[in-house]
Amino acid sequence: MLLCAGQLAAAGAAVAATLVINARTTDGHALQGAVVTVRPLDGQVRHAAPLRGVVDQINRAFAPDLLIIPVGSTVEFPNSDFVSHQIYSFSPTKRFQLPLYRGKPYPPVHFDQPGVVTLGCNIHDDMLAYLVVTDAPWYGRTDSAGAWSTELPRGHYRVTLWHPRLRENDADLERELTVAESDRAELTLTLSKPLQPAPLTDRPHSWDY
Amino acid sequence: MVCLRKVAPHSAPRLSTLAFAFAFAFAFALLALPDIGRASTDWEASLDGRLVSSDANPSFMQGGLGTVRYGSDESGVQLGRARFALTQSLGEVWSAHLDASMFDDKDRSPVGLTEAYLLFRPYPRAGYRFRLKAGGFYPPISLENRASGWESPYTLSYSAIDSWLAVEVRTVGLEGTLDWLGTRSGHGFDVGVTGGVFGWNQGAGVVLTNNGFSLTDRQTPLFGRVGQLGDQPLGGAEPFLQFDHREGVYGGLEVRYLDRVVLRVLHYDNRANPQLDEVSDQNYSQHTSFNSAGVRIEADHGWTAIAQWLDGETTTAADDVPGGLSSWPFRAEYALLSKRFGRSTLSARYDRFVVDSIGADGYGAQSGHAWTAAYVFNVDAHWRFTLEWLQVVSSSFSREEFFGGPPLLTETQVQLAIRYALGSAIR
Repeated sequence: MLLCAGQLAAAGAAVAATLVINARTTDGHALQGAVVTVRPLDGQVRHAAPLRGVVDQINRAFAPDLLIIPVGSTVEFPNSDFVSHQIYSFSPTKRFQLPLYRGKPYPPVHFDQPGVVTLGCNIHDDMLAYLVVTDAPWYGRTDSAGAWSTELPRGHYRVTLWHPRLRENDADLERELTVAESDRAELTLTLSKPLQPAPLTDRPHSWDY
Repeated sequence: MVCLRKVAPHSAPRLSTLAFAFAFAFAFALLALPDIGRASTDWEASLDGRLVSSDANPSFMQGGLGTVRYGSDESGVQLGRARFALTQSLGEVWSAHLDASMFDDKDRSPVGLTEAYLLFRPYPRAGYRFRLKAGGFYPPISLENRASGWESPYTLSYSAIDSWLAVEVRTVGLEGTLDWLGTRSGHGFDVGVTGGVFGWNQGAGVVLTNNGFSLTDRQTPLFGRVGQLGDQPLGGAEPFLQFDHREGVYGGLEVRYLDRVVLRVLHYDNRANPQLDEVSDQNYSQHTSFNSAGVRIEADHGWTAIAQWLDGETTTAADDVPGGLSSWPFRAEYALLSKRFGRSTLSARYDRFVVDSIGADGYGAQSGHAWTAAYVFNVDAHWRFTLEWLQVVSSSFSREEFFGGPPLLTETQVQLAIRYALGSAIR
């Protein structure tokens, strides 16, 4: 997927700067929920601290349906439903499976490679969620205005945008930028193809044939 | 000359070898389960009561040629279905499924199993997933019967196509499915191929031959009987029979686009030897094959559209034409449109169907169409109310032949259904 538009605005100078990323759909609307990662390119060595994440299963759906975690993090997969689930991933980033269970019988799963992990349930085909395992020191998701911001030092960076409904899953939106002589940098990334339709959310769970 | 079909005399209830094997395997697996702590049992029970108003002829279960489930003499309070279903995990990748129902007391046993099978479900690997079913179950054709118990969440009465499947088509054997899970690896599509090999469906087609299509939600239990003993034209037909030692096969393809579109095609052939009709004095043998196709599209704001098509032929030996074969080509299609808003679902469906008669002097010929409108209100997870209006206009050769009535008839059935469900996952 190609980068269609990007803009960098700079004003003033400071040691720490604010980077604002705006994500836009093909028709210019705000793109909510996009994953933004920012990696330094000028020799800075930074890593986000691993965390302990939780992806629950509620009403035959993963909650949340997307979680960003730093490399080295662990994630628990409790099942809060009254039905059993059987979680799997065959993504190259992390292959694992949790045999049929309810409650919280299994220890957290460790994620030590960067990449996207697609989660599914071997019982309920419509359950789908993503873990984004990142080695970037700065990361987050765009809000309802399509914006995400962070504080970071002056330097040269690569900004990557990803969304689970991109037409081509492995084609990230990437852009390099230099934050210098500025205390505020702003970048707008626009998709070149429309997103795939969102999952249907109001379908009764008993419809499974 | 009218080619009358044989009527199967009463035979003692036979629990098939397969059913015994399944029950034994199920019980053994339960006892031998090594990892019972993590094993899972899901169960469901429901009671569906109906208030019916109908002007239809008696149905196929009553010994008539009515095209809906309830005839006029059954207007009033009826049992729609009492159901108990159990899913039991057997270790990590096996599970057993039992679906028992009581629809009425007109079969050889008031309670029967509509489906009973073992499912082998290994984890997907490298984007592919394999599944194997063994037992008795529906082949993957219907796109409206997607709720538990093979019920339709849109209407009470199934389409003519899916009613026919409910009455006399079931896989009693093995089915393997290989899916490519594109939606789990960055693509928009999943693709699956299915193959089945089965027995005990040598009688599939006997109801089409004698009664034609109908719109019902009565599912014949595995190894159950259709019609009433001694009542023409159907008698006590048994669709789930095997006495020619020839297995049936089917193969199908399913393509899914995200969670919005499902496309299914399937070719089915029970490969029965129709001539065996002549050497058995009890049972029918129908060679039945068909092609089916269907598409279901779901869109935002609760819209669903479904279309299915079925085209096939059933052949059997005529009783009064020694060595001769008669054939009944059949075809049916329907389109359904549904809108879900909140806890309500409003649906409309148009059905069209025809059964031709070749080599039987017109016996069994039927054609017709039907309109169905239904309103479903899910009060909560337990209670559901459904109001359905169904009108079938059909022309039947046998209606005049057997009952002296005009071939063309309009039948209307209105049902109010109240269903209460409970179970391990229904909260």
